Formats: sequence, C-alpha cells, structure tokens
Amino acid sequence: MVSFQIKNLSFSYPLGEGKALDNISLEIEKGEFAVICGKSGCGKTTLLRHLKPALAPHGKREGEILFEGRDINSLPQREAVSEIGYVMQNPENQIITDKVWHELSFGLESLREEPCRIRLKVAETASFFGIQQWFFKGVEELSGGQKQLLNLASVMAMQPKAIILDEPTSQLDPIAAAEFLAAVKKINFSLGVTVIISEHRLEEVVPLADKVIVMEEGRSISCAPWEAYSLLKKMGNPMAEAMPASVKIAAEISESGERERGEKRLPLTVRDGRLFISEYMEGKVPAESGKTTRFSEKKVPDAVKARNLWFRYEKNGSDVIRDLNFSVKKGTFHAVLGGNGAGKTTLLSLLSGSLKAYRGKITVGEKGEKLKVALLPQNPQTLFVKKTLLEDIEEGIGAKMSGEEREKTARRAAEQVHLQNLLSRHPYDLSGGEQQKAALAKVLLTEPDILLLDEPTKGLDCWFKRELAEIIRELCEKGVTVIAVSHDIEFCAQYADYCTLLFCGEAVSTAPAKEFFAGNSFYTTAANRMARLFFPQAVTNKEVISLCLASKAKA
Amino acid sequence: MNTPFASLHPFVLLVFFLFAAGFSMFLMHPVFLVISFICAFGYSVYLKGKKAFKTLGMSLLLVIFAAVINAAFNHEGFTILLYVNDNPITLESLIYSLAAALMLLGVLMWFSCLNEVMTSDKLMCLFGKLSPSIALLFSMTLRFVPRFNRQLKKTVSAQKSIGRGLDEGGFFTKAGNGVKILSILITWALENAVETADSMKSRGWGLRGRTSFSGFRFDRRDGLSLAVLLLLIFIISAGIAVGAGDAKYYPAIVFPEFSFFGLTIYISYFLLMAFPLIFSLTEDFKWYRSKSKI
Repeated sequence: MVSFQIKNLSFSYPLGEGKALDNISLEIEKGEFAVICGKSGCGKTTLLRHLKPALAPHGKREGEILFEGRDINSLPQREAVSEIGYVMQNPENQIITDKVWHELSFGLESLREEPCRIRLKVAETASFFGIQQWFFKGVEELSGGQKQLLNLASVMAMQPKAIILDEPTSQLDPIAAAEFLAAVKKINFSLGVTVIISEHRLEEVVPLADKVIVMEEGRSISCAPWEAYSLLKKMGNPMAEAMPASVKIAAEISESGERERGEKRLPLTVRDGRLFISEYMEGKVPAESGKTTRFSEKKVPDAVKARNLWFRYEKNGSDVIRDLNFSVKKGTFHAVLGGNGAGKTTLLSLLSGSLKAYRGKITVGEKGEKLKVALLPQNPQTLFVKKTLLEDIEEGIGAKMSGEEREKTARRAAEQVHLQNLLSRHPYDLSGGEQQKAALAKVLLTEPDILLLDEPTKGLDCWFKRELAEIIRELCEKGVTVIAVSHDIEFCAQYADYCTLLFCGEAVSTAPAKEFFAGNSFYTTAANRMARLFFPQAVTNKEVISLCLASKAKA
Repeated sequence: MNTPFASLHPFVLLVFFLFAAGFSMFLMHPVFLVISFICAFGYSVYLKGKKAFKTLGMSLLLVIFAAVINAAFNHEGFTILLYVNDNPITLESLIYSLAAALMLLGVLMWFSCLNEVMTSDKLMCLFGKLSPSIALLFSMTLRFVPRFNRQLKKTVSAQKSIGRGLDEGGFFTKAGNGVKILSILITWALENAVETADSMKSRGWGLRGRTSFSGFRFDRRDGLSLAVLLLLIFIISAGIAVGAGDAKYYPAIVFPEFSFFGLTIYISYFLLMAFPLIFSLTEDFKWYRSKSKI
C-alpha cells in the first residue's frame, strides 16, 4: 500500500529563479521510514511542506501528490489536519500554549473533539511518550529535548497515519536527539505510522531507515540506506560526509567494494562496522600507525590560563565550576567537550569576563599584554539589527569611520566568513549556518585575540561545519586563539588542536585532540570505537581507512 | 495551590468569589462587614500563613488613609463632634468611614484569596466555556511573556559581548543601545511568530467550531458544594430583599431592629463567608484521621 505518491512534481517560488523542485517522482509505502537528505537549500523543506496541505508554499506548481490514493489537495480539511502530522525544526517556536496538557490537546480542540474524548486521547499519548511526570508543568520549565518531544506528542495526539519531520533534532544536544529519534522509531515500529524525516545528522537516522531519498538541486533519487553513501559520493554531494562512519569506512575499504556491494550490505551501525573490520582484518597484520602528529613541541605561550577556579550562581547554590584548571595555547583551536550541565557555557562566561569566579584566577595573555576577548553567542538572532546583511555588519563598526571605509571594512569582514555573495539578503532569510557565520562576522569586527564560541556547530550540516572549520583554521593562522565549547565529538576530533573534557565543573583531562580521543572508550568518535581493536590510535575515518588499506596479509 | 477548597471545580470557585466579594461590597451593615472581614482574613491566613499579615498591614495603610479623607471632607450627619477650620466633623461620618474601611479591607482580602486560588489553568477553564478563542489568546500570552523575557536577557548579554552593553558609554550611548536591543527583540518576535502560526495551522487552527479542554471535571463533591452555596446565597438574598441588610448612616445612624429572622440571615451569611475555611479544615481533619488509622 502506498502512503504518499508524488508524480512529476515541479515547483517554483513566485520570485525565485529556477525551479525549487524539478520533476520529482517518489513513492513512500505505508509504514515506511524514509530519510530525506541533501545540502541546505536543496529543496528538502519545500518538498516536505508540499506533503502537508496547510503548509504548502505558494508558487507555480505542476504534477500531483496522492495521499493514500487521493489527491492531497482534495482531502477534507479535517482529515488533512489529523492524518498528516508535521514537526518543524525549532522546538520553541512550535509550542503554542503555556501548559503541557493544553499543548497536547490543542489539535484535538481544533478538530472539535468532545472534552471526554480529548481527556482519553491526551492521557494515552502522554503515557506512550512518558510525559506523565511533567504533564502539569508549564512549558517554560522544560528542557529543549522535552519541548521537541512535546511537539511530537501533540501531533501524535491527533493519531495521524503519516508524520513528517523537518530536521527535528538539529537544535538538540546529542543525548536529547537520540531520545527523540528513539521516540520516532517507536512510533514507526509499534504504531506503524509512516515517517518521512529530513536530517543532517545522518549517523543516527540512517540505520533506522527503510529508504533514503537524496535531493540535489530540486531533483531526487531514492535508494536503500546502505547504498546512499556510494550514490552521494558519485554525485559529488557533500552530504556523503554526514553518513554513518561505518558505511563510509566500509565503502572505502572495499573500494574494490564494487565487487562486494552486490551480495553484501554495507554496515550502518558501529556494531556491524566492528564486525566488518574484523572480517576484513582476518589474516592481516595491523599496520603500524605512524607517530601521531603531535602539535609542534616547541613552547607556545598560553593565551588563557585558569587556576583553581570556583563559581556558583547563588550564595547557597551548588558549585557549577569547581577547582577548574586549564590553559589554552596561543593560536590554537581548543575544544571544550562535556555533557549537559557540565558547566561549559558558564566557563565561557567566566572567560569572557561577564561572570566572576569567587575563588581562583584567570590570566589572559602574558604579563603586560592586553588581549581582547569576544564571545559568539549561541543564538545568532540576538545580534541582527538591520534590514540587509551589509547594513547589519556595517552597524557593528564604530562610528569613527567614513561611509566608504565602513563599507569596505564590512565587505572584508563578510569575506572573512565567506558570505560576500549574500550581502543584500535580510539576516533572517539566511539559513541557520549562514546566520551563524554572519554573527561571527559581527563578532570578528571587534578584532578579538581570543574568540569564544558557544556550540558553534549546533544546527549546521556537514557542509557548513567544514566551512566553519576552515574559517577557524584561517583565524588561528592569523594568531587568534579559538576556544569552543561543543557537544560535537566528530567535529572536535577532526578539526580541534586540543580538547578538554569538562565533567561536573572540573576539567578532567586536556590533551591534543588525537591523544584525547584515542584514550577514551565511550567519549570518542565512531571510527575509533569501530577500529580500536586493531588501531587504537586511529580517531578519524581517514586514519582508519588508510591504516586498514596499509595492513598487509600475514606472511 | 492545592488546598481542599481550591481543588473544587473552577465554576464553584467563581460563584463563591463573585457573591462573597459582591455581598461584601454592597452590604454596609456592621454585622455583615465584620463577618466578611474576619472570614476573608481567616481564609487568607489559612492559604498564605504569615504572609497574610503582611498583606493586611499594606491594605490597612491604604484603608486608613481613605477613611481619614472621608471623615475630613464629608460633613453630613447630625452629631457634630468638633470643628476643624470651621468644618464640622460628625460622628455619623466617622462611623461611616470606619464601616467603609472595613468593607474595603474585606473586599481586598477576598481578592488576595482569589489571586491565590484562581490559577491560570482555572481561569482558562472558565474562559474556555465562554469562548475558546479568548482562552487560547490568554494562554498564548502566558507563554509569550516569559519567553520574551528570556530572549531579552540573552540579547542583552550577547550585545554586551560585542561591546554594546547597557552599562557602557554615556547616557545617549546607553539609550541608543537600549533602543537597539528593543528593535532586535521585536524583529525576533515577529519572525519567530511566523513559525508558531505554521504550527497552529498544521494542527487545525481555523477549522470551524473549536472545543475547549481543561483537566477539570465537575463531580459530585462540586455539585454538593455548589448546592450548599446557592442555598445560602438564596437565603441571604431573600433577607436583603426584605431589608435585613439595610443600614443608614446619614443623617442619623439607623439599623434594622434585631429579630429572629435577622439572626438566621446573619448565620447564613457567616456560613457562606466561612465556607472555604470550614470546607478546608474539615478536609484537613479527615486527612489526618485517615492517616492516623494507617
């Protein structure tokens, strides 16, 4: 049985150049779990919005969409509301009312259900998602992950047959994201609801998927999840990088894989990836990993040094930062990792000087040196003032400059973050990644010597992550010290020079990135977890692949 | 707040507070005034403990001020006590001032109790019966205000991080930064509201006919309580209709003569006003007894 059938769908926005969707034909079976992937701006959201009549964008449209055999636009309104659920990216913006129970009942109220029926359905939904504990709470009290789970639950309360999710986990930390995806999986597995999800954190969803739909420039190709990587790579699509490490490594190792792929599915999880590598290494001697490329041994002065730092928010509260010691070398990219509530953001505030430690000392630079510190806030929208990006960046320049000079400086700042082509856009019309970069440009105008980043990769796809890493690299080469707090292990492993693990307000360990991850067993990259039996020192995919290929058969 | 009386159905609470405050406002007979004030204060102490005395102190200041003004400027009444600058101060106006002060205190006390008891959920339930749209508007406002506040804090600290804090520069720089922050917030609110609107549309906002769900159910206990309240209200209203609540202060003080009928009305009035307290204390007693049995 087919749930959604899309036939030759083309669409263009009224003022847009070219087609946003170009002759798309797709079929999604009932109860299927379909993942849509592609670079931001490839038409994912446009396509998903077409599947929900209330949200279909205005513009020129050809072709047709059938939902369970009927034209989607001829569905009675009530059916279209209740049978197709839609969850968006931002957990905050989707919440309408002030109480959890009210939010759950919103859709049912709209559908004119009787209060006694609403009571039952809401109760059912809340128990299914485990919301009872916070059922009577105000939504303000919830964490980001709980908010997004509430959004999912309030859509599910209407008992839809299909549910569409547009990058639902991009604003969540990894643990909340995993919890959310587990709930989506549960809906799909135990209720049989069709799931169509777009994501850029593909490591987690691809293993759940029945089908992967790759989109590029308004066109789409469907394939099985274990084929997606090779397909993306063949297309030269940067999303290939976002696929699970296991499939990437396996595909590269069996590059000769053309032979094997026919009979054998590539592994999608760390578990299968481990098996794959074990099989591959059978009868081979693991290649020696070359001496880990240590950060130059010569003495680099410290840019920031924190000694025995203690901090708490309230006099009788518990300590958020406790006896923290760490130092950051000048001109390096230093990542601070840690779970929720480990004190990461507090540490940044201390370093930026907006909070003061009650004990201990932070030294910035050497004696007599004056270094400027700037902080990039987590939410770039707190910085945008003007109608266009150019004006907005100009606004950030002090009043001393003349008009012409101002524009030049602004353009230079935009170039620094690779935004020179978008200067006439409204800041809010930029994608999440572009907004992040625009905010970075504004912060860089203050010419900091030390740049603090708060979760810089939140909501970014792998394409933007790589660009961000490049920008950071360029800054470091100019002598700027970059300190980022992050949840993103893979990003830090790949690009950071040094890493620090923060746990309960303490800096548990600090080491060059490679050593740092090679020494951990849970808190490390997927590649390392897969290959550690043979190559304990290999952290990134590239290293694992090259070491595997270098391994020779036993004599 | 989940005290026994407050856990009754919002509609019962509404009826009670409507009549309690209404009677307190219009019945100027001293017996009624004293009963209303004592019961309101008693319930307020039950709900808020020590804080109730603070509220009382605050309102007392206000009320004494009003009473003094009345006595000083109102010269009606027969019995002249003294002259201040050729203006007569009369016994009647002095007593009326005291009565009015007590009346105001009583009403203020009832409102402070109402404030504790009527949480937003309960208001929502009542609004919802009137108009689901108004209830929703109310709820969305309650959602928006704390969110806006949080974003304000974030924006202020983000601006500070690029050297645009509210504590930097001279007066004009500060004011300029403040206006900028406001402008950022308004843009933020409008832009993000678009997504909220989408979320509402996708969950059926705008379909004809909307019901309103609230977690409250009208059960037997609510029915019984409402019946008792209505009976008392009926008796008191009947009493008022035949003049049991009349009180004349000007030009001379005249109260209705004491009668057995009058006493019944007083007792009913006391029972009505003390209902929250009696109800709560009985329930508390039951709780302790059932607990001590275990």
